[in-house]
Amino acid sequence: MITFERVTKRYPGGTVAVDELNLEIPDGQTMVFVGPSGCGKTTSLRMINRMIEATSGRILIDGKDVKEANPPLLRRGIGYVIQQAGLFPHRTILDNIATVPLLIGRSKADARKRAHELMDLVGLDAQLARRYPHQLSGGQQQRVGVARALAADPPILLMDEPFSAVDPIVRASLQDELLRLQAELHKTVVLVTHDIEEAIKVGDQVAIFRPGGKLVQVDSPQNLLAAPADGYVEDFLGFDRGIRRLSFLPAGTLDLDLNGVVGQETSAAAALAQAQRAGAAWLLVVDSERHPKGWAAAANLASAPGDTPLSGLPLTSTSGHGHTFRVDTDSLRAALDATVLSPTGQAAGLDGDGRVVGLTSYDRLKTAIAKADEQARAEEAASGIQPGASGAPSGEEVTAS
Amino acid sequence: MSWAFSNLSELGHLTGQNAYLALVPVLIGLAVSLPLGVLSVRYGWLYPPMLGVISILYALPALALFVALIAYTGLTDTTVMIPLAIYSLASIFPSVVDGLRAVPDPVRQAATAMGFGTWRRLITVELPIAIPVVIAGLRIAVVSSISLVSVGGLIGIGGLGYLFIDGEQRDFSTEIVVGIVLIVLLSLVSDVILVFIRRLLTPWQRATGAAELRQFRRRSASFGHAGGM
Repeated sequence: MITFERVTKRYPGGTVAVDELNLEIPDGQTMVFVGPSGCGKTTSLRMINRMIEATSGRILIDGKDVKEANPPLLRRGIGYVIQQAGLFPHRTILDNIATVPLLIGRSKADARKRAHELMDLVGLDAQLARRYPHQLSGGQQQRVGVARALAADPPILLMDEPFSAVDPIVRASLQDELLRLQAELHKTVVLVTHDIEEAIKVGDQVAIFRPGGKLVQVDSPQNLLAAPADGYVEDFLGFDRGIRRLSFLPAGTLDLDLNGVVGQETSAAAALAQAQRAGAAWLLVVDSERHPKGWAAAANLASAPGDTPLSGLPLTSTSGHGHTFRVDTDSLRAALDATVLSPTGQAAGLDGDGRVVGLTSYDRLKTAIAKADEQARAEEAASGIQPGASGAPSGEEVTAS
Repeated sequence: MSWAFSNLSELGHLTGQNAYLALVPVLIGLAVSLPLGVLSVRYGWLYPPMLGVISILYALPALALFVALIAYTGLTDTTVMIPLAIYSLASIFPSVVDGLRAVPDPVRQAATAMGFGTWRRLITVELPIAIPVVIAGLRIAVVSSISLVSVGGLIGIGGLGYLFIDGEQRDFSTEIVVGIVLIVLLSLVSDVILVFIRRLLTPWQRATGAAELRQFRRRSASFGHAGGM
């Protein structure tokens, strides 16, 4: 547990970088500090390992004030990943990763063995061990940076804008990698970013800072998106927070439509009758295994010979026109996206074997979202927590959400 | 030419003396520049005045310094080496500062964040990274020092410079030409040795070269292939 107690950083000349920060970071969780430049997020991070000294207040790690520790010794016990990796250009990848184990007095053979394990852990090809940093791509360098920070197995990992210097595709894969590592290692991670998308993707908790070094709100990504504490947070979250929030709601809550699904052996006349009964402009045609074959337009059914089976008619493909979604694993956001992209305004939800469970519609999405909101409100009421509580959160708030 | 061969041992002795008189001051210059450079990087305000003083000293004529020093150190090697050591600062000191300043900030911060103390960081991270720039400064210092030694010939301690004075007095141009050739050779050999030392100390830079060479070969190979089609 890392605890900030009324921590302030004031520079000579009066600039306040961090203003009375109170915060608790529970063990094994990923806490993201996010905000625009000059909001004190990096300063707050660097005060944890005393790269920057606090002007007043205390920072405790497991109850011990960091001020009482010798800075180099303190830092050897805290992993640190810096923007642009900061690898030692004059050392091989393997020796870069072995840095901290060697510093804390492990034998060279031991440190290198550990470095090899870490290369494997972060997904680096063993052949890169003897290369030098400049021979690696930016993404590979950042993986080395993460491996190096983890080499001495520190319980805490500080990450200072770790992925901001790589291109968006590499960034996304590094973020996925961090989530995978964290699921395996359960470190206490503090990550600084200016990218709210990144914060929401990788954070268990997100702390939003405002210029002037003020912490505005700390909450889980779901709660932040659902209940921003004030206009500043709302602006910071952006205009699509309503849609992004759907990422946290499972598609399984959707009540899917079965009337618009028809077997491919059905005749055109019977299908047309089904479409008219359901009031549907389109029917989703499935094979005997209920795998989707394509869309049949009611208008086309009327002009086809009545006894032709649907399998003999030209259908509008479900692929190439948006996508389907998995009912069991995808979110409402995926379902909404599939619906928006579908030429019919409906999208097929599939089970794990690719069989059609049913169809979405905008009305059905609306109902599912309302249901999820109601459930969230009920849970909040049950746990007695105000939605969007801000400022100085208590430990309960942090752990309960 | 036959003159050179009949005086080989004398020429060898003069070359050795020239190398000794030139290189020891450069080593002293390096030994002085390292701590001064480290201080100037840590306390940035020190750099301009230090560089100013060194530049003024560099502007003093060598012969004037030699003559002035005779009063204190007599007609000894020291009299020649002190000015040369001072001159070598003019190229080594800025190169130490530039080399240390060229250490990328994220590298320095990462070292601190991993628990390197100031000294350990300096010796195991910053100085090794500064080596290429420092050696570039050393190369200039060595070559200019080797040629400046000959000015010492005017006070009788000048290594190969003796050949110029002797040749001029005897009106014997062969001796002067041999002196010039030997100074150029000595400079070249010293320079090659420094380049070799740099390659030895900076394997990571060699890796750059190798990678670039491979890339170049691949590119030229594909060009060759296209040409053959």
